[in-house]
Parts: sequence; C-alpha cells; structure tokens
Amino acid sequence: MADPDLDFTSGDAGASTTYPMQCSALRKNGFVVLKGRPCKIVEMSTSKTGKHGHAKVHMVGIDIFTNKKYEDICPSTHNMDVPNIKRNDYQLVDISEGFLSLMMDNGDVREDLRVPEGDLGKEIESKFAASEEMLVTVLSAMGEESAVAVKPMTK
Amino acid sequence: MMAAVGAPEVISQLESAAKVLMAPPSMVSTEQRQHAEHIFLSFRKSKSPFAICKHILETSKVDYVLFQAATAIMEAVVREWILLEKSSIESLRTFLLTYVLQRPNLQKYVREQILLAVAVIVKRGSLDKSINCKSIFHEVSQLISSGNPTVQTLACSILTALLSEFSSSSKTSNIGLSMEFHGSCKRVFQEDDLRQIFMLTMEVLQEFSRRENLNAQMSCVFQRYLALANQVLSWNFLPPNLGRHYIAMFEATQNVMLKPTESWRETLLDHRVMDLFFTVHRKIREDSDMAQDSLQCLAQLASMHGPIFPDENAQVTYLAHLVEGLLSMINGIEIEDSEAVGISSIISNLISTFPRSVLTALPNELFASFINCLTLLTCSFGRSAALEEVLDKDDMVYMEAYDKLLESWLTLVQEDEHFPRGCFVQPAVQVFNSYIQCHLAAPDGTRNLTANGVASHEEEEINELQEDDRELFSDQLASIGMLGRIAADHCIPLLTGLLEDRVTRLHGQLQRHQQHLMASADPGTVERKVLDDLYEDIHWLILVSGYLLADDPQGETPLIPSEVMEYSIKHSTEVDINTTLQLLGSPGEKATSIPGCNRTDSVIRLLSAVLRTSEVESRATRASLTELLSPQMGKDIVWFLRRWAKTYLLVDEKLYSQISIPLSTAFGADTEGAQWIVGYLLEKVINNLSVWSSESELANDTVELLVTLVEKRERANIVVQCENWWNLAKQFASRSPPLHMLSSTVQRTLMKALVLGGFAHMDSDTKQQYWAEVLHPLQQRFLNLINQENFAQICQEEAVKQEIVATLEALCGIAEATQIDNVASLFSFLMDFLSSCIGLMEVYRNSPETVNLIIEVFVEVAHKQICYLGETKSMKLYEVCLTLLQVYSKNNLGRKRLDVAAEEDQYQDLLLIMELLTNLLSKEFIDFSDTDEVFRGQEQSSGAGRPVSAADVVLYGVNIVLPLMSQDLLKFPSLCNQYYKLITFICEIFPEKIPQLPEELFKSLMCSLELGMTSMSSEISQLCLEALSPLAEQCAKTQEKDTPLFIATRHFLKLVFDMLVLQKHNTEMTVAAGEALYTLVCLHQVEYSELVETLLSNQRDAVIYQRLADAFNSLTASSTPPTMDRKQKVAFLKSLEEFVANVGGLLCVK
Repeated sequence: MADPDLDFTSGDAGASTTYPMQCSALRKNGFVVLKGRPCKIVEMSTSKTGKHGHAKVHMVGIDIFTNKKYEDICPSTHNMDVPNIKRNDYQLVDISEGFLSLMMDNGDVREDLRVPEGDLGKEIESKFAASEEMLVTVLSAMGEESAVAVKPMTK
Repeated sequence: MMAAVGAPEVISQLESAAKVLMAPPSMVSTEQRQHAEHIFLSFRKSKSPFAICKHILETSKVDYVLFQAATAIMEAVVREWILLEKSSIESLRTFLLTYVLQRPNLQKYVREQILLAVAVIVKRGSLDKSINCKSIFHEVSQLISSGNPTVQTLACSILTALLSEFSSSSKTSNIGLSMEFHGSCKRVFQEDDLRQIFMLTMEVLQEFSRRENLNAQMSCVFQRYLALANQVLSWNFLPPNLGRHYIAMFEATQNVMLKPTESWRETLLDHRVMDLFFTVHRKIREDSDMAQDSLQCLAQLASMHGPIFPDENAQVTYLAHLVEGLLSMINGIEIEDSEAVGISSIISNLISTFPRSVLTALPNELFASFINCLTLLTCSFGRSAALEEVLDKDDMVYMEAYDKLLESWLTLVQEDEHFPRGCFVQPAVQVFNSYIQCHLAAPDGTRNLTANGVASHEEEEINELQEDDRELFSDQLASIGMLGRIAADHCIPLLTGLLEDRVTRLHGQLQRHQQHLMASADPGTVERKVLDDLYEDIHWLILVSGYLLADDPQGETPLIPSEVMEYSIKHSTEVDINTTLQLLGSPGEKATSIPGCNRTDSVIRLLSAVLRTSEVESRATRASLTELLSPQMGKDIVWFLRRWAKTYLLVDEKLYSQISIPLSTAFGADTEGAQWIVGYLLEKVINNLSVWSSESELANDTVELLVTLVEKRERANIVVQCENWWNLAKQFASRSPPLHMLSSTVQRTLMKALVLGGFAHMDSDTKQQYWAEVLHPLQQRFLNLINQENFAQICQEEAVKQEIVATLEALCGIAEATQIDNVASLFSFLMDFLSSCIGLMEVYRNSPETVNLIIEVFVEVAHKQICYLGETKSMKLYEVCLTLLQVYSKNNLGRKRLDVAAEEDQYQDLLLIMELLTNLLSKEFIDFSDTDEVFRGQEQSSGAGRPVSAADVVLYGVNIVLPLMSQDLLKFPSLCNQYYKLITFICEIFPEKIPQLPEELFKSLMCSLELGMTSMSSEISQLCLEALSPLAEQCAKTQEKDTPLFIATRHFLKLVFDMLVLQKHNTEMTVAAGEALYTLVCLHQVEYSELVETLLSNQRDAVIYQRLADAFNSLTASSTPPTMDRKQKVAFLKSLEEFVANVGGLLCVK
C-alpha cells in the first residue's frame, strides 16, 4: 500500500518484517502472522490427540489492520512468523482530500495516510474541525501502515 | 361480592389473554405476549380476589386461567391474612379441597397449584391460634382408606404439597414469611404432623407390599407413596435451638442425613419399618424408577443418628439389623445397573454415620460377612465402571457407585486401629489388585476390553481444559493408595515388578523403533499402539505409586506414611544396604541384572523403578526419539518425583518415633544418596526444560519440581553445590536457547526458583558470585539498554522489545520468590527497576501488551511484599505506584482506539490496577512488618514518623482511575466485582477519609454506590449496602450537618427505605439493608418520619392505613429514640423482619 518513495522510516530499511518463534512461546495479546496477515492473538489453547499425543496449539487472531478474524492450528514445536510491529505518535497538522498530514519528530510532514474509516475517522475530522490539537497513533507492520488511535495533546 | 360484578368480562379478558400466552411463538407478537402477561400479573395483585376466583374456578374451562385463579387466591390469602375473617379462611380451604375432590379430571398442574394453595393456608395458619387447620389429616386418612386409587393419589398429592410447603425455605420469600416464622412452623410440623404423614404412608406401603398382583394404576399409586416416604425420611430435621441466621445455612445443605428428634424413637426404631423397606425393594427392584426410591429410603435409614438412639446398645441392635437385611438382600441376586448407586449409598452412609465402636460391637461373623460383601461389591463395581468408560457412556452409574465405596474404604481403614488387627489386609489386596487389573492393558489387565473381550482403542481429541487423571481421579487414587499401604507387603512389590517390567519393554520397544528409523528414516510408519499401551500402563502405575508412597498436604510438611515406614523397618533386617544404594544409583541398568537385587529395600526399589522410567525417557530424548515419547508420561514422572522429594528427600529423623535405616541411609541429611539424587533430579529438570519447551504443562510440572528442590533451605543447600545448577542459572541469565523458548509462566517460575536458590547457605564469596551470575546480568542488560541515547528510537525494534518483555517477566518471577527472610534484599533490587518501569510506561504507551505487563510487575511486587514492608519502604512503594497510575491515566484519558481489542485491553489494565490498589490496601489488615527484624540496619528512622496510610494512596489511585471506568467496562463481571469490593473496603476501613475527598471524586464515589445498589447484581447491591452504615456512623460522629456526606446519606435513606418497603427484594438482603436503614434512620430521624407520613397519607383504605401505621410504630417501638447502640440495632432488625412479613406484601398491592 505504502509508496516506497515515501518511506521515511529509513532506520530499518531492509530489515526483515517478521521473525520466527516457537509456537508454544507465543502468548495471548501478542502477535503472529496467520494466513499471511499480521494478527493480534486473542485466543490461544492447546489440545492433543490421545492421552499420549503431543501438544497442538490452536490460535485465533484478529488482523490488526482489517479486524478480520483468522484461525490456525499447528504442532507446538513448529515455528510461527511474528510480525515486527511499530507504533508511532504524530501530531496532526492538516486533513486534505481524505489524507492526514502528520508531523514527524524531525519536523517533516508526511501526507500519505488516509483518514481511517468509521468512528475513529469521524472523531479525527470533527476534532480537527473544532481545531483541537491531537496526536495520531500510526501502526505499521509488514509494509502496511494505518492510523489506529487518537489522543488529545496534553501540555 | 363486589368483585363478582363484571365477572364475565374479567373471565373473558383472562381467557383471551391465556389464549395469547398458549399460542405458538409465530402466532403472536412480543407485545401481545407481554400485554397478556401483564393482565395476569395485575389480576393476581388485585385486592380480595376471592369471590371472583371462586367464580372462575367454577365456571371457566380454560386450564391456565384456573391455574392463575389458584395462584391469586394463594397470594392474596397471605397478603391479606390479618384482614380476613378466620371463618372465611377456613371455608376457603374447604372450598378448594372439595373442588379438587369433585373434579378428578383436572389437569395435573392445576390440581397441584390448588393443593399448594391449601398447603400455604395450612402453613400460614399453623402458628395462628385462632384458626385450626388440623382437620386436614383426618380428611386425608379417610381418602386413603377409600381404597379408590384416584382418591388415594389425590390424598398423596395433598400430603406431598404439605410436605414441600413446610420443608422448603426457598418458598418463604415468595409468600413473604420470615425465616423465623418458617423455622417455627417447621418445628411444630416435624414433631407431630410429619410423623402422622409417615404413619399414613407406611400403612399404604404395607398394604401394597402384601398384594400379589398390582395393576398399572395401583403400582402408580404405590410409587407415589414410596416417593413420599423418601421425602419424609430425607426431611432436614431442624434442631430445637438454631438461630435464624443459621436456618438459611442449614436449609441449604444437600444430602441430608436422617437425624430425627427424640419423639420419633418409637416410630423409627421399630424393626418393622426397616423390614418393610427391604420387602418393598425386593418386590419392585426391577422397576428402575421405584428401586431408586426404595434404596434411597434404606440409605436414609442407614444414615440415622442423633437423639433418637437412647444409648449405644440401641445403635448396635439397629445397625446389626440393617446389615443383616442388607446382606440378605444382596446375596443371591444379580445387581441391576439401577441399583448400584443406591446400594453403595446405603453402605457409605452407614460407614460414615455409625461410630467405630458400634461397628466393632457387631457380632464377629456378621462384621466379617459385611466386609467380605463390601470387598466383592467394590471389585465388581470397579470392573463395571471400567466397562462404562470403554463404552463412553453418558451416565456413569458404576463409576459413581465405585467412588462411593472407595471413599467408604478410606473412612474405614483410616481408623483401622479400632478394628481387629490385619482384618483389612486381604480385602485391601483384592480391591488393589482389581484396580490395577482394570487399568493395565491385556494380557495382565483388562483395560479397554469390552465385556466380550474385544479391545477398543480410539484416539480422541483432548483439550487443555480436561483435567489430568491425577486430579480427575484423585479421590479414587487416594483410597487405592491408602489400601496399598494397608497391604504394603503385597502392593509395593507388585507395583515395582509391574513397573520394572513395563520399563524394560519400553526400552526394548524404543530401541527397535530407533533401528527401524535408521533403516527406513520414515517416522510415519511407526506403529504407536504398542508404545501407547506401555505409556498408559506406566501412567497408572506411577500415579498409584505416587499416591501410595506419599501424601500431598497443602502447606504442611508431609510425613512418610506410617504404614510405609513400618513396612520398610519390618524388612530392614533382610536388606543389604549397599546393594540397595547400588540399585538406586544405577537407573540406567535393569534392576534384575543387579546381583542380590532381591535383598534390597522395597520402598527404595519402587522409587528406583520410577527413576528407571525417567532414565529411559531421558536417553530416548538424547537419541532424538522425543517425537515417540509421551509428554503425559513425562508429566507423570516429574509429578511423582516432586511428591516423593517433598516427603522423603532429607528425611528429618526428629519427626518420626521410629525410622527405617535403609530410608535414612539413602535419603537422610548429609548422605551421599541424598546428594546423588539431588544431582540426578537437577539433571532431569535441565534436560526436560530443553527438550520439552513445546509442552507447556510438562515444562510447568518440571519447573515446579525445581521450586520444590530449592524452596526448603536444607534442600537448597545441596542444590547450590551442584555445578549443573550454576550452569542453569548462567544459561537462563544469558537468554540463550533453549530456555528462552519456554512459555512465559514457566520462565517466571524458573526465575523464582533461581532466586530462591540464592538464599541457600553459601560462603559470602560464593554468594556474591551467585548473584553476580543470576541477578546482576538482568540489571546490567536492562540498564545498558534503557540508558542508550537512542533508546526512544530503537525501542520498537523487535530485539529490544523482546529484551524488555523478558526483563519484566523475570521481575514478576523475582517478586514471586519473596519470603520473609529475603524481602529486604529483593525489595531494594526490585525498587530500582520499578522507577525505570515508569519511564517504560511512557516509551511504550502505545503498546498495550507491554503496558499491561508493566502494571503486572507492580501488582506482583505489591502482592508479595507490601505486608513485610516497614513505613519508609511502604511509602516508597506507594509513591512509585501512584506515579505509575498518573502516567497511565495521562496516556489513556481521551484516547480513542479503532481496533476491536481496545476494550479488552483496557479491561485487562483496569482489572490489574484494581488488584494493585486492593493489594496496597491489604496492608491495613495484613501487616507482618517489623522494621527491626526484616530491615535490620537498613531502615533509618525517617524524621518524625510521617503518618502514612494506605487509604490516602488508594483513594488517590481511585481518583486517577475512576474517570477511566466507563459503565461499559463495569459490564465485565470480574472488573465490576473487584471495583465494588475495593470501594466497600475503603468505606468500611476509612470512613473518616470520605468527607475529605475532592468534590469530583466524592460525587463519583456516591454515584457508584447508588448505581451498585440499584442496578447491579444482588451481590454487588449487598456490598454497597454494607458500605452505607460506616458512612452514616461517620456523619453521626462528626455531628456536622450540611456536609456533602450528610446530604448524600439523606438521599440513601430514601433509596434504602423504598428498597425495603416498596420493592420486592431478596430476603438475603434484608439484613444488610436493615442495618443500613437503621443507621440512616438514626442520622435522619425527621426525614424518616416524613417518609413514613408520605407513605401513610397515600393510603385511602382505612384498614390498611391502620395496619401500616401500627406496623411502623412497632418497627421503631423498641428503639425510640433511635440511637447508634448495638442492642437497639439488633432489636430493630428483629422487628424489621416481622415488619416485612406482615406488611411487605401489602404495600406491593396496586
């Protein structure tokens, strides 16, 4: 989705977007890649086939960008991919044509992120219209980015 | 007669409403249904509906309307009892009874409801001297003697209705009678009327049992009277002097044992009663429904105890008769499936009820036959239970029966010194053998064999919620283990032999697999069946061995069971100690290959059989056969070793009157054996943690074994001398594989164990070195990381995040290791981290999973340490907790998130915060701190003793989090409970702080209380009511009027008043609400009088007005003027109960 030319997070260019982890070491509320999508684990349980069988892990995850639900089951010895997750707060400076203008720490402004859909987007727009100052949290994982939270500026 | 005016309209309205209610859901709308329900509700509330109800009963053809009319009569009679003429009540009762008698074809539910109304009238009248309802028994006995089955059935229904009305307290709140009233009625009833019912029932049963052939209709009547007899014998006799609070508790007991009052002596000690039930059972035992009732009657008779027996002789005679009857009933019959549970209840009741002295006073032969019969039944039920498991039946009757009998054995043999010596050995051998046989695979055993000998073997999916067998069957295993001790001479060698054999076979099987794998390199072809059978055999053998050799008492030091100790001592002369030690020390060799292996201590040999199993497992993992192994067996092994180590390792001779030389030589303090085995266990733990990281339950059991090894100073002293221990510590500190692959809970517990080990005895250099290896790397790595200049930039990198998470997990583990003797050093260590953690809260404010973990660290530290901290240290902890809350609040107020997990995340945070505050508050009632002892030399006397109170901190904390608690969040029950517990705590412990709260906080606190009182569950409502009294008392103390608290309590007075007087409420709540009301009345007497006045002035009916006015007068009569005096309060509460019983219903009338 993101235009590579507009990638400002140059610090980790080329770094892997995921890393492997043994299934049994994953935890609820943590993250995992299910069906190729970065997910937050909302449910985790184990089972086995027969009393002397080996553990299998059953996971239910929610796509952190689309909120879609995914499930998977695999032997607990397997390695799963875990997405690298980043969250950054930026100050909102403008909204134009459905895109947010966000000021980065170094003073640069990026304008590549859409106003999110639904209630959060409406909240951002109405607060912006009321000229309230606010911070927008941007979540990024596996090359995708999205605004996920908003908070009024303190101080 | 007024009410009869317009009767046809009322009836037609009710009938059409009934039609709506009875219509299928698709035919009527929800509104129509609600409207119809409303019509019936208001009909039942109408004033004096007697005439119209009679009219309805006589004319309407709609059953449901008849039912409602009966209900209306019942409710109105109780409501208006005092206003009614006694003669009209009596004629009403006669009318109802005659009505039913004349209409044999009434629908069952209508008939039962009318009879219930009769029963309620009889009960309400039973304490009222002005009315006599006794004639009902005369009428009933005439019905019974009619010989007409229909009439007899009706008579039975009447008796059943009376019985349930008088027995059950759950009915009381429905008709608005107080507990005390209920109790008095019940006492009068059980002395006389109940016995009359019983006698009538016995007559009927006698009559029927004499008849040769019973037709279907008669046998139906028979069944009803049998059920009635069972109800009488299950009567929960109310002892003469039981306070009203206990009545409710008493009534709630299940499985009532028969404890009749003395007046029943003649009736129940008559042998003919018991004989009749045996006769009845013989007659009907093939009818499974009736058989359950007749056996239940016998089981109740077997539980009989108390003042009914004049002396022990009477008990012996009674028991002997019972046992004789039982034996002759069982002998020579094939027991039906439906009889198993009933028969085992009879046996388990008599064994648990009759004192040992009575059992031993039975004639010898009778006692021997009884034990013999019990043995055969136990074995037979055990086999049938195993069959049930194979067939996967839903209804496990034999399993239930088997459980009961095994429990009875436990009761018997636990006090076996009362019985002839050795009398239980042979039975124990038989029961033990049959248990083992049922749990082993063919050919030795019968596991998974169906009745005709066909093996069944299926692999089912087992989820993590299913309990492990060691828990699921803990009761059975405890009994079998106990029986195994009684017959130790037989059972210990048996288990050893079987286990050694299975281990040898397992070893061979694994070797064959390995060769096979090397040849074909295809694990898919491996046949698991043989292996799984061996694993299952070993599983049960280890479980039984564990339960036989040791107990697992919570919290105390378990002792070696005396039977096991005696067994070892008895054979110690035949034992060669060196061979025993050699056997113990060579788990890699076959036991039988050791020369002289038969001259070894059997207790040690059983342990070493488990060690041999463990060794085969470990070697298989080294040979990369882990995939073929059973994680379940791995769990069994470490579970056994943990249980064993707690009891036998470093056995303390001082705790025993006699000690076995082999045991003390092998495992005593300062022995090579003990050192060797500690080393062996440690190696096992380390191996497991690296091989089994993917099996979290097994890893968990393993790390718990490690905790057991270090939590006792004596054991820890040996552990820290092992090089392996240091390797483990270093490896964990370096966060290298494979330990970092363990689940977070296992890592925490591992950290806990490593910290506990650090407090073992070591010279100071070694100790310093140990901490340098274990704790300091943690600190160093953490500080290096967070002090990096670009930490803010790199903090989101995965490696950094993982390091942080691992550190936080380790901190939780360290906190868990807190004990009174290490709290000083651990607290200082953890405090440094806590301050840095606050910084992390800022850095990771956007990662809910990290924030949550940080709060958890604080919760753990507060939970484990606050009770030991002196003033200065507590202050420090309070401060850092407050800062944490401030930062949390700043970062979350006004924040809005998009994702679905947002609410769940916040819920988890707030739950932890409530827990943190409750933990801090607990300092006020659990405080072990003794500055001198624990922090010798560390605690400087800090200035002029600043008054530190947890309340200040907690209130401040509540102030911070309260704005975050939305009504939606309160819908999470656990959060809601925790929140209300916390605020009730605050009000109860620090009422004086409440008036000083900032205005906003005060307001939200009062709002919370009101909300909790009026619109939450009854449990929450009760908590809030309990918070009110201390607040009102606080106001009374300061005597200041017009403070916000004073005004708030005035508002609460009205709320509680309405709740008690005008609304239908739970009777359990009357006490809490009453106490609150009384203190509030004391405080606001004028307002209370106003409330009463307003209420009275709304009454138009002069009679009701007078009655209410009288009731209010007598409510406060004993406490005028009301003062905060305990005695007056108690008097008020007592009158309140009467008040609610007398006028409670009246005020709800519309």
